[in-house]
Amino acid sequence: MLNDFIDQFGPSTVGGLAAGAIYALIALGYTMVYGVLRLINFAHSEIFMIGTFSGLAVIMTLGVSEPQSGIALIGLLLLLSVVAMVGSGAAAVALEQIAYRPLRKKGSSRLAALISAIGASIFLQELFAIVVIPHLYDHPRGRDNIGTQQLLDKEPLFTLGNTDVRPDHLIVIVASIAMMIALDFFVNRSRIGRGIRATAQNPETAVLMGINIDRIVRITFFVGGCMAGIAGLLYLLQFEETRYNIGFVLGIKAFTAAVLGGIGNLRGALLGGLALGLIENWGAIFFGSAWKDVIAFTVLVVILMFRPTGILGESLQVARA
Amino acid sequence: MLLEISDMRVHYGKIEALKGISLEVDEGEIVTLIGANGAGKTTTLKTISGLRPVSSGSIRFQGKNITKVPGHKRVLLGIGQSPEGRGVFPGMTVHENLLMGAYARKGDLSKDLEEVYGLFPRLAERKTQFGGTMSGGEQQMVAIGRALMTKPRVLLLDEPSMGLAPLLVAQIFDIIREINRRGTTVLLVEQNASQALQLAHRAYVLETGQVLKSAPAADLLNDPEVRAAYLGGDLGQPEEETSETG
Ligand SMILES: Nc1ncnc2c1ncn2[C@@H]1O[C@H](COP(=O)(O)OP(=O)(O)O)[C@@H](O)[C@H]1O
Ligand SMILES: [Mg+2]
Repeated sequence: MLNDFIDQFGPSTVGGLAAGAIYALIALGYTMVYGVLRLINFAHSEIFMIGTFSGLAVIMTLGVSEPQSGIALIGLLLLLSVVAMVGSGAAAVALEQIAYRPLRKKGSSRLAALISAIGASIFLQELFAIVVIPHLYDHPRGRDNIGTQQLLDKEPLFTLGNTDVRPDHLIVIVASIAMMIALDFFVNRSRIGRGIRATAQNPETAVLMGINIDRIVRITFFVGGCMAGIAGLLYLLQFEETRYNIGFVLGIKAFTAAVLGGIGNLRGALLGGLALGLIENWGAIFFGSAWKDVIAFTVLVVILMFRPTGILGESLQVARA
Repeated sequence: MLLEISDMRVHYGKIEALKGISLEVDEGEIVTLIGANGAGKTTTLKTISGLRPVSSGSIRFQGKNITKVPGHKRVLLGIGQSPEGRGVFPGMTVHENLLMGAYARKGDLSKDLEEVYGLFPRLAERKTQFGGTMSGGEQQMVAIGRALMTKPRVLLLDEPSMGLAPLLVAQIFDIIREINRRGTTVLLVEQNASQALQLAHRAYVLETGQVLKSAPAADLLNDPEVRAAYLGGDLGQPEEETSETG
């Protein structure tokens, strides 16, 4: 057992970081929306799903048929990033406008908003399974896994001890961390970021500062959506497939990551995501990879019982984001 | 008239918190709104700032009907507020809190910041302290300073004396007088009626969502009914307090 662990520690760590980076990117959307509206945007998992399908659309439209390298690869990745961010960001804004704003304007309870979120989540999954995938993606069985062309070479870039590090792993980890840093700057340094923090800390006073809360909420959904879009793209690069309900389990895991790091806390999302990815991959060495999800959700239950404010606490509200 | 409210009604759900109040504030005045807890003072200020919708009635500011103008746009028109409970952003420093007051406007802020730090030297010493870690009095200074950073034509103050020691209350009231002297109109909500009446030019007494009386502040100080209800019947004490500290 211990020998297994030592043997597999390196590969599990790389796999865990790559998985965790994606959880972290998705977790940002949960945590930002929660910070500003105290709402669990349950349909955020579908915003991630839309990111994978936005990437897929580009690959299909361009007719990419073999792994790319060099300038072509960089250009392709940039184009994919922009489309995935815009696709998911726009979907998140539409979701807010349709599913949440009317309830907010009526002063409905948070439970009503949560139920609306669950409804929106199911609606979007079914919309893809029944309409979008069969008609726009030319795939009559809308509930199947949909594979995509491999975009980059997956031969190990280098080897650390017994651990192969593949380019897709590296891209996932580096891109996630870069996005996190960009977001952290945006929230802590820009004018709109100040508006977001003010709204999270005290929405009524924010209005007294001349902040248009509706606009801040829209931007928050857009930015969270962009992060989920990038996450979707990175998932597609790594696993080369997607599905109408791809967001379901990943979404709950990302939510777990957000809670683990402290919901409302941006840096907590990064920490929580990476920690969750590592825990489930290390745990899988002992229990087998079939147990990954069990491990992840056990973590969720345990934090909720013993430390509901997570590792770093709710920091958009009480300290620097 | 700078600010003119007529027959304003405001509801929380089915509860009518303001039952048709009318009040006016003229350029350059300090007007105070006094009344017991739950009378509707905070609701009045929130509605003026656009945080609550009116059910009927109107709000005019500088002659313009602003009843339907969204709250965040009223700030740019010149309505600044230091809210009840201060509303300091706990995760921002004193300096960031002050800058939030200027969020909606453009241009050079250094002169305005200098003026606020001049009024509140204590804040100048604590620019980098987080709002959430400050004492009640300091938070009140942040809230007033931040409202001044919006460059208000009328400054709405909701119970700036709440929870403060008498000495600090006197200090805050002196600063309000100074702000007014420099040309900002003030609408002051207070439960600390005696001191508010000594500071203000005119006053309104609010009771269960209605204006009970309005008169020059000095007259209300000597009004037996007001004295019995809001000044504890004893006029001597608060005056001593101010002369002691002011
Ligand atoms: N958020 C709220 N929901 C329901 N009722 C409220 C709310 N805020 C205030 N009220 C009610 O409105 C009335 C006026 O309250 P308020 O304006 O806070 O009075 P004051 O500031 O004079 O103490 C009170 O009866 C209070 O209970
Ligand atoms: Mg009040």
